[in-house]
Amino acid sequence: MTDLLHIPHAMTLSWRYGTSWYFAEFIRALRDERRLLGLRCPVCRRVYLPPRPVCGNCCAEMREWVEVKNSGTVRAFTIVHIPIIDPTTGEPRPAPYGMALIQLDGADTTLNHYLAGNDPSELRIGMRVRAVWREERRGALSDIVHFVAMNNEQSDNEH
Amino acid sequence: MRRVAIIGTGQTKHGKARDDVNQAELAREATTRALADAGINRRDVDAVVLSNMELFEGRALPEMWVGEGAGGYLKPVTKIATGGTSGTSACIAGYHQCASGLFDVVLVIGWEKHSEGATQTGMALTDPLWDRNVASGAVGNFALSISQYVAERGVTPQQAAKVAVKARRNAAKNPYAHLQIGDITVEKVLESRMLADPVHRLDMCPQSDGACAVIYAAEDRAKKICQRPAWVRAAVTRHDQPYIGDLDRRLVTMRTLRDAAREAYERAGITEPLKELDVAEIYEPVSYAELAWYEALGFCAEGDAGRLIDDGVTEIEGELPVNPSGGVLSTNPVGASGVIRVAEAAMQVMGRAGDHQIPGARLALATGYGVYAWSDVIILSADEAE
Repeated sequence: MTDLLHIPHAMTLSWRYGTSWYFAEFIRALRDERRLLGLRCPVCRRVYLPPRPVCGNCCAEMREWVEVKNSGTVRAFTIVHIPIIDPTTGEPRPAPYGMALIQLDGADTTLNHYLAGNDPSELRIGMRVRAVWREERRGALSDIVHFVAMNNEQSDNEH
Repeated sequence: MRRVAIIGTGQTKHGKARDDVNQAELAREATTRALADAGINRRDVDAVVLSNMELFEGRALPEMWVGEGAGGYLKPVTKIATGGTSGTSACIAGYHQCASGLFDVVLVIGWEKHSEGATQTGMALTDPLWDRNVASGAVGNFALSISQYVAERGVTPQQAAKVAVKARRNAAKNPYAHLQIGDITVEKVLESRMLADPVHRLDMCPQSDGACAVIYAAEDRAKKICQRPAWVRAAVTRHDQPYIGDLDRRLVTMRTLRDAAREAYERAGITEPLKELDVAEIYEPVSYAELAWYEALGFCAEGDAGRLIDDGVTEIEGELPVNPSGGVLSTNPVGASGVIRVAEAAMQVMGRAGDHQIPGARLALATGYGVYAWSDVIILSADEAE
């Protein structure tokens, strides 16, 4: 019987992605002004974050920019306990860490991002959070470090 | 459109690492068994449809070098890629090719060899401008959706654990299944490592090496080749918006699965799925998802999924057995997982499911689930449509 082999292979690759006009607008506002911009559908009036040129529900072209706030409401959360690859570094992100789907004020979609806290007893759906920005921004969603609880604000359980 | 039936199925022994074969041999193992099951040979196949998540293994153009294993040389070969739904979508594409009259006999083959690569790497190669900024992985994304589902429906970790136990006890009756842990208990699930709240390790599917093939034949050929084929009564697919945050209460609403099921039931003339279906093979990557799918598929009223598992309705001896094969929770070679659902549903209808056969099964449902809540629904019957 032939001895079977396994051939290890590792490589470093790089890519160069085009943004199109709407993501270029979004990234410039985020990087230069710490502003988050969504696009509003002219038919259903939903505000989409990330921006995209067409509303999937209405098949309508979107051109109306809407500023979305840095604060929002947690709609879903978890604490990740295992090392998951951070695609921005290629290395596992140290666990445990909190994650949430956050509906930013002014948006109809939610944003998948990190939470500062990782104690589930301090997290709940409906809690209010705000973005913490990096000093040095490179023009990516990871320019937001994570979201922290806003303790003095009324919680928003409306959806 | 012509009537189409599945006339044969074949799968590999699935496992953590099938080091004894490469990908092409894995595909050949499944296709050889499917051809033997159908009682035809490779020359009888008119066209081949492939399903594989090539980013997981980091090898491009699998349609070229796995074509040999699948018997696709000098034949029309198509590769279908729709995330986790790829396998069921390939089955739907194969059905379309047969039903349209293009081809009389079509072979669908799905495979994955997770042991060759890093599945997390493939998962990390999502939208570079948006999703790639956050390390969430499949587990993190599921856990987020589950937190909403649990908050709204009040299902408990014990009820989810019962789903995980049911799958692995069923898998013990299936010689092809990857996980063989029939001594599992609810306590063991709840004591297993927490991956991402509230998902324990044993609530989650494994990563498997494996392949599965199904063979379709059109009307007269199907009747000539096979005494008791599994007739396709409905095959429906739905996709949704591209980012995880787009979907309001994703697991709770699951609009793709609800809409696909509604159309599939209409086409198959089903009004009470729980009573009329004899068996279901659904794509449940995590225990909680199976409970959510019970609601979306109309097996129970909204909020009643916990009761369904508590009452044993979906156990192998229950009113509607769900995943007698052990499901994705026991075997998950992603490119093959959807094909396995369809093959297992067909095996039940053909009376060829061995120790996990549901006695007298004539009407079966199979589903596929893909990234960002894509859904496929397929209904197979021992009875040809009128």
